Amino acid sequence: MVYSMSENKQKNSFFSVIKDFPAAVWSSVFRHNLPHTDLGRSQTSFTNFFLHIHPVKVHKHTLKPWFTMGLGLISLFLFLILTVTGVLLMFYYVPSTTQAYDRMLDLRGSVAFGVFLRNMHRWSAHGMVAAVFLHMCRVFFTGSYKKPREFNWVIGVLLFLVTLFLSFTGYLLPWDQLAFWAITVGTAIAGYAPVVGDQMRFILLGDTTVGQEALLRFYVLHVAVLPLVAAGLIAIHFWRIRKDGGMSRPADADVIETNGAAPVETEAIPAAAPVMAMAAAGNGGIDFIEKRRYGVQGLVRGPFTKVGNVPDNSVYSYPNLLLAELFVFILTVLGVLVISFFFNAPLEEAVNVLHPPNPAKAPWYFLGLQEMVSYSAFWGGVGVPGIEVLILLLVPYIDRGQKGVGKWFAKERLLANTLFMTFVVVNIVLIIIGTFFRGQNWEFVSPF
Amino acid sequence: MKMRLSLAIASVAILVVHGFVFYQQFFHKWENYQTSYFDQARTLSKTDAEREAFAARSPKIEQILVTQFGSERVDRCTTCHIASDDPRFKDAPHPYKTHPFSEALGDKQVDGKWERRHKFSDIGCTVCHDGQGRGLTEFYAHGEDEFWTEPMLGYVTQENWRPEFKDKLKGKEYMEANCAQCHTDKDFKQTPMVNKGRDLFIQKNCYGCHRIEGISNGTLGPDLTDVGKKWNLNYIYESIYDPRANSVTSFMPKFNLTDDEIKALAIFLKSRRGFNYAETTLDHYRATLNKSQAPAPPPSTTTTTTKPTPTTTPAATEGAKLGEQLIAERACVACHKLGDKDGGIAPDLSFEGLIKDEKWIKAHFKDPRALVPDSIMPTFAFTDGDFNAMTTYLAGLNKAPALGSPQETYQNLCMRCHGEKGDGHGQIAIYLDPYPRDFTNAGFMNSKTEDRFVNSIKNGVGGTSMPAWGKVLNDDQIKGVLAYIGQNFTKDARTEIKPRDVPEQNPVATSSESIARGEAIYLQRCTGCHGRKADGKGANSLDILPRPRNLLNWQFINNATDKRLFESILYGVQGTAMPPWIDYGLTKEDVGDLVNYVRSLNQSKKDFMAANLVAMCH
Repeated sequence: MVYSMSENKQKNSFFSVIKDFPAAVWSSVFRHNLPHTDLGRSQTSFTNFFLHIHPVKVHKHTLKPWFTMGLGLISLFLFLILTVTGVLLMFYYVPSTTQAYDRMLDLRGSVAFGVFLRNMHRWSAHGMVAAVFLHMCRVFFTGSYKKPREFNWVIGVLLFLVTLFLSFTGYLLPWDQLAFWAITVGTAIAGYAPVVGDQMRFILLGDTTVGQEALLRFYVLHVAVLPLVAAGLIAIHFWRIRKDGGMSRPADADVIETNGAAPVETEAIPAAAPVMAMAAAGNGGIDFIEKRRYGVQGLVRGPFTKVGNVPDNSVYSYPNLLLAELFVFILTVLGVLVISFFFNAPLEEAVNVLHPPNPAKAPWYFLGLQEMVSYSAFWGGVGVPGIEVLILLLVPYIDRGQKGVGKWFAKERLLANTLFMTFVVVNIVLIIIGTFFRGQNWEFVSPF
Repeated sequence: MKMRLSLAIASVAILVVHGFVFYQQFFHKWENYQTSYFDQARTLSKTDAEREAFAARSPKIEQILVTQFGSERVDRCTTCHIASDDPRFKDAPHPYKTHPFSEALGDKQVDGKWERRHKFSDIGCTVCHDGQGRGLTEFYAHGEDEFWTEPMLGYVTQENWRPEFKDKLKGKEYMEANCAQCHTDKDFKQTPMVNKGRDLFIQKNCYGCHRIEGISNGTLGPDLTDVGKKWNLNYIYESIYDPRANSVTSFMPKFNLTDDEIKALAIFLKSRRGFNYAETTLDHYRATLNKSQAPAPPPSTTTTTTKPTPTTTPAATEGAKLGEQLIAERACVACHKLGDKDGGIAPDLSFEGLIKDEKWIKAHFKDPRALVPDSIMPTFAFTDGDFNAMTTYLAGLNKAPALGSPQETYQNLCMRCHGEKGDGHGQIAIYLDPYPRDFTNAGFMNSKTEDRFVNSIKNGVGGTSMPAWGKVLNDDQIKGVLAYIGQNFTKDARTEIKPRDVPEQNPVATSSESIARGEAIYLQRCTGCHGRKADGKGANSLDILPRPRNLLNWQFINNATDKRLFESILYGVQGTAMPPWIDYGLTKEDVGDLVNYVRSLNQSKKDFMAANLVAMCH
């Protein structure tokens, strides 16, 4: 349609301008109508800013719901929900020890949708910590961090840390007892780091105790610094998914069943060559333009940008991948909405510096740490978590075997998966103990 | 296709949830209240203009910004209680009901119309009622939310409050606590409960331990200056009713108070918010300036029964009677034991006349730590007349108890501190410093002569809570008790004590050189346990039982003989962490220097003792 418009240039009468105005605006914004041909589908993905992050075609294996469970997408969508609700909340919030708590009361009492925004923000934040962690587990158990995706795993681990820190900095902002003492405990844990511990704590708090300076610092970190860092890392994370060849998949995923005939390896078929040859031949006319554009897409090589009627196991991203993403998005939003409708984000009494609640607990995702700290301040708070993070970062460089990639709990990866499962279970058990089994003075209590 | 169907279903679900959310967020109860009020008011209106005015009003959040009481308050109560100032609604149900007019509140009738003394538009609502001014639902606004420390005084009790208190914590009188925010005069007639509470705070000796700015300066218990701001009524009430309910380590006695008295105290304490609303910040600042210049006003009791007439000195018997009354009223037995009343914290006063003399008792009243340096007894600011009367009464308690067997003697006189098992962990032991002696420590018990123990029992031990039992027990009884202790607690048979080469008097004359030498040795050898300040709180002290001696306990040091100090340093104290320093190269001269140094630390207090002529054992 875009190209047929150019033929009408001669009839530039007043009425035709009026008549064509809506179509002209429409076509200037959207380069294509809804695509009906494979060419159109690839162009849609390729020329739309919001869609161009997608490959033109995506492997069928990637679309299997139980392979990824959409956890990465859920994390992203929660991040987006958090950004939107966070910006709205910023209109009402003042990072001042004298005003913050009153602003919370106003949000709850008289701001339209205030309590709901806060609920959405709070539960999405908790959800994001969980989703990112589960996403990491998924990637590990499917062996997806192996070559060439090692560095994307590293970025993922960094993103996990940034998520934790984002959630942690946000915890202080309501300036209630829960916030104050959780941050007091959390920063005290940071203070156990050797050599730089005290300085680190001081830089975080801007003071020796949690107070106005700490509130301001946490606010700036929470609304400006960390979201930017996270957004940057997310961009790299996604970019690298494309450049590392899309999602991981088992080696036999590319084998195509051709009506009972012997399986054919797609790798063996030279996909781009004919396209390039066609572009090089260069005959004129619209046919040529279409073919040339076709060819440019063909130039983008790699496992997922193969174009042409080559028998492989990929389908067009538009609409297959898009629909799947939309579905995950809607489910995520639905979940957040329902939870926010039924459960209010906690708001305890205003800060009382002289009276810590007993026990004073960190946010739940740090309760595993706090539990370990109750055994040994240095090892629980710094030593063990530090080693854990270091090992996580180094995992793809230690575990270099290429077998069992793209399969859940592959037999070939029994040792690695067992080790990682132990790590996961131990941390979850510690968090459960810290959350439910610890009462006054951090003594063991039964929740039943 | 399957994907599209589930997508469609999920989208519809989102739409439905949005419906609920919008309903929840857009339809408020307060809007219904307001429209209903407008309708009713319109029908009650007498003029057309009034009617039209009501017809034109549409629901909106009403709020009162109150800036005159310290930090800014936002009261949105009138959003629901929209008719609170409309006299036509005086018989309407809540929330329309008119706030009552009353003479007691200072409201006046002018030309048949009431005029409020406290205008809502000026002072808002929460200043008197508490509750959460910013809330717009009943749950939050009335403070039913357990995290809100100020639920509506006298009306709302929270879910997590102690069930048996809930009835006791309701009633208009609780609002007096807020009246007293501005009406601070001591005998403001409209706040009888606050006044009563303040009197009780003095009468029941609360002030001895607690500080309230401008009223008292106690340091033993928590500062209560802004207790009303920090805690809800339930917590305050509970902390008086059962001090250990909120802090298991509290040693505040459970006072014998009636419900009414606790209520009055709770109301009084709830009124202590650390800030007087009637003052501007500048006033407050000026007041603190004045306070720091003038000495703190002595607390005075306002009830006449407890106040002795200062001009006439009562005769001895009269004084004793008054003293008895004072001691009963001032809740001394909240800590001490007297007859069959036992507070379980401080020593037994039942035989005070036999173990202390009048001079000692009086001096101790005036400054407990002058005589027992580590005592926790508060310094009460009674009048001299009161002290005299109480002293006369206590000194008159000189009837020796009838004591039978040594076992009975031990149980009556010793067990309260030294414990049932003789291990020093008696009922009140944790409040005593130094800690009572552990008789099961055979190493110590068998390293000292019997004479020494007899002497300690007979004459007491200076600077400690060990009294002189000489007038209660005769020598035979003392020996009997000692034998009982040996058989039942120490158990190990006594061995012959080797004679030690210890001088009776310090051979080194005291001089600044000797003291300097002694200090050098002290810093080198002793600080680990006895501390750099010689207060017995060195780095290792917490790991050691019995604790290292506080060498600044001048009563103890000045009453200890040179011989005893020499022996303890040179040959150590068996059964404790004190080693025999003779084995570590200290000579008699070194010890002489040390003794001179330690004595020099306590010299200034010796003069005080001489001046007060306090007879202590030697």
